[in-house]
Amino acid sequence: MSSELEHLARGTAELIANADEREAEDAASRPDEPSLPPLQWLKVNLFSSVLNTALTIVFGLAGVLAYQRLLNWAFSHERNWDAVRVNMRALFTFTYPSSQYGRIWVTLGIVLTLAGLSLGLSRMVGQGVSLKRISIWCMAWGGAVIAGIVLVQPHAKRSADGEILLDADFEPVRESFGTAMADRGWWWLIGVLLLATGLAIWVILGDLKRRKTFVGAIPFTLGVLAFAVSTLWWFHWGNYGQQGDIIEPGRTVKDSAKLPWTAMWFVLTGAYLVGRRISATDRAASVRVVVNLSWLLAPFITFWVILRDPQIDYAHVMSTDLPMALGFMIGGGALLFFLTKPDLGEIGRILGVGLFGIAIFNWVAAFFGIYPMLQKARISFLLLALVALAAHNFAGERAQRLRFVYAWAAVMAILHYLVTMINAPSTVDAPDEFVGGFLVTVYIAVFTMIFSFPLGVLLALGRTSTLPIFRVLSTIYIETVRGVPFITILFFFSTFLNIFLPDGMEIEQLAAAGLGFALFSAAYLAENIRGGLQAVRRGQYEASDALGLSTVQRTGFIVLPQALRVSIPPLVGATISTFKETSLLAIIGIIDFLRVANSVIPGQTVFLGVRMEGLLFVCMIYWIGAYSMSKFSQRLERHLGVGEN
Amino acid sequence: MSFSDATAAVSDELAARDDIIICDSVDKWYGDFQALKGVSATIKEREVVVVLGPSGSGKSTWIRCINRLEQHQSGRIIVDGVELTNDTRNIEKIRSEVGMVFQQFNLFPHLSVIDNISLAPLWVRKRPRAEAERLASDLLERVGIPEQAEKFPGQLSGGQQQRVAIARALAMEPRIMLFDEPTSALDPEMIKEVLDVMKELAVGGMTMMVVTHEMGFAREVADRVIFMESGEIVEAGTPEHFFTDPQEDRTKLFLSQIL
Ligand SMILES: Nc1ncnc2c1ncn2[C@@H]1O[C@H](COP(=O)(O)OP(=O)(O)OP(=O)(O)O)[C@@H](O)[C@H]1O
Ligand SMILES: [Mg+2]
Repeated sequence: MSSELEHLARGTAELIANADEREAEDAASRPDEPSLPPLQWLKVNLFSSVLNTALTIVFGLAGVLAYQRLLNWAFSHERNWDAVRVNMRALFTFTYPSSQYGRIWVTLGIVLTLAGLSLGLSRMVGQGVSLKRISIWCMAWGGAVIAGIVLVQPHAKRSADGEILLDADFEPVRESFGTAMADRGWWWLIGVLLLATGLAIWVILGDLKRRKTFVGAIPFTLGVLAFAVSTLWWFHWGNYGQQGDIIEPGRTVKDSAKLPWTAMWFVLTGAYLVGRRISATDRAASVRVVVNLSWLLAPFITFWVILRDPQIDYAHVMSTDLPMALGFMIGGGALLFFLTKPDLGEIGRILGVGLFGIAIFNWVAAFFGIYPMLQKARISFLLLALVALAAHNFAGERAQRLRFVYAWAAVMAILHYLVTMINAPSTVDAPDEFVGGFLVTVYIAVFTMIFSFPLGVLLALGRTSTLPIFRVLSTIYIETVRGVPFITILFFFSTFLNIFLPDGMEIEQLAAAGLGFALFSAAYLAENIRGGLQAVRRGQYEASDALGLSTVQRTGFIVLPQALRVSIPPLVGATISTFKETSLLAIIGIIDFLRVANSVIPGQTVFLGVRMEGLLFVCMIYWIGAYSMSKFSQRLERHLGVGEN
Repeated sequence: MSFSDATAAVSDELAARDDIIICDSVDKWYGDFQALKGVSATIKEREVVVVLGPSGSGKSTWIRCINRLEQHQSGRIIVDGVELTNDTRNIEKIRSEVGMVFQQFNLFPHLSVIDNISLAPLWVRKRPRAEAERLASDLLERVGIPEQAEKFPGQLSGGQQQRVAIARALAMEPRIMLFDEPTSALDPEMIKEVLDVMKELAVGGMTMMVVTHEMGFAREVADRVIFMESGEIVEAGTPEHFFTDPQEDRTKLFLSQIL
């Protein structure tokens, strides 16, 4: 099994290597067309005809007006941005106790380490950002800042005790235009610096050099992040508090966040450099596999082991958990070793089917509460039966059979470890609803992706299967889920699921909601993947059959890799919508990111009714997440050459 | 044509060899349309048979029945002593004995050339990876493109792709090779390189069934030519007989059109 995975991973890696070459060829074959001088560019693109000129002027004016309204709204004395600044912690982690914040930083550290390694190991280098784009980018932002300084109306004057001064019509008294301009010194500095940098790049470098000098996208991003982190050291971002806290002068964002964030930046950059280093050696392929598997495990480890920090009952572990795990590892391993014996014949199949029957009965029995049994034993047994059914596919020489057995043992070890951790009570000293805010958004999104993806693949395969029973079941499932509003599913799972579960089984609301998300999104993913499956040509099936590949092998090695490749764009689309749809959690009473902004902050005595600011901030964060995902997928698509041929 | 007739016109030496493919009044319907009408023929070990016939005559259908890519509805097909029935184990066994090369190559586009070739030995024959890859390199050498091992199918010319496809089929060490118009999708200048590989295989003693329009290949390499029309075998014989002295009117008409 492990070698099968490795094989798949290698295939993917080679696919990407192949794409590299294609990208390079593309770049080389593109004709070198000099860009137009700025004035001519304007003429060609904006003022080429009367109509074009009119449109430019109308939409330009509309744009400027909208920009002015937005700025005046955001910088009005009526806005209370402290509501967002003070509630940073509430927005991101809700009431997670600050004494335990270390756990969150460790979690983030693990994620950033993996991210850095993946980026470093990725062969998806691409060209990066040209200096021309950076220059235009700087000039555009510089221009926007300076325009903003001029467009924003002068601030309202305040009396000595901070009250807004009103004139006879109860309109605020504003500073004179000159004073206002002079007061905005910092903004002038930023605007002018950006503009000057952009202009300098433009003027110093010639056209060709501008277009042909590239800054790698990752170093560029790391640079921008470094700047952002450095602001924590020298800029006063404001104070923070928690739900209900009043701002305390001594506790600033700067004090609490600058060291950890700086460390995080170094972790990310360091991991990236290590990844780069490894990618040049011949261990790269195997390290890549390890990192990808770690990604799969990371959500569980971070959530259950770090954020929950289970209190383990060692007596129980020694008497029950460990022996059971070892039993499945060793006993199951021995059974599988036997079942992978070449030319075992009918006995193997009979044993597999028999085990499967018992496993199914086990679950039926659990449902009617006939005999008690630890849930993890049931799950392990079912897994063992399924693997035993497929074991003959892995028959072969001794070394290969042993690898298969080791893979089984590893899966069992991980499963039993995690289940034991989940069942142990948490030592995290926190109120009941300690998970909230952005943390819960991210966890539900990640959980959904990890579970819905394999389920979606299975459903898609089922729906296109030649076996009527799979086809009918998958079709019923997919069509039912797609025909029902998501909200109903969410309500069902969060409220009623426990009623339908067998005795002694319970599920927390958040987990139930996650399950609802995963099951719902799987149906949509399945349809996307089915589209990909249909794009795989018949000849591929015939060639696999003619070579004597089994159905499982044909699906895993030939059909799925090609189908998934075609389905990348819709799959990323689905991921983005899942990320945004997590905001529906607010409806069933879970305090997610959106709910903090929409009801928690406006409910605080200091910020009574202050809602728009928080909502705007939440929108921004969602937008950044969704936009980066879509950028990444565009890059991946271009890289794998989807949509060619 | 009857069962015995199709086998009649072969040399005594050939007749003495063992039968490796036996088709006995094979019928195949697509819905109401009968694509094969009582096809009977016996192919001997190490024999090279070229199947000719106009478009739609059932050539592809026939050879695809032999490795069960299509199912026949009545009659019997026995390959290397195993009868093709619904028993999956028989099908598995026969597919590992019979290699097939397609008109459209059907290489796996997401795998490198070496992985295309070593996949089946690795997972069907359960060879260790090193051995499978060594086998793949040897085969690439044999079809004349050892330097292309790390490339992907999309980066190769049509002729190279078809040679990889042949190597991929050979990697299963089959006793029989089926070719369905292997050169029809190729530009003229690439046809020869593929035919050369096939000739070499024939000389090496492989049992081959080849559907092709390359008359030169049929004349030079075939032990026997079988002519089909409308799902029936119309005439069979050695190339000399077939091309110089055809018996049936339909054969004569066909030859006059293509020669
Ligand atoms: N899947 C199918 N469904 C229905 N009819 C089919 C199918 N495949 C083939 N046929 C029909 O069966 C007949 C024989 O087809 P076949 O592909 O065997 O011909 P062929 O001799 O290989 O022709 P060509 O030289 O064009 O490849 C044709 O009339 C064709 O239309
Ligand atoms: Mg054909």
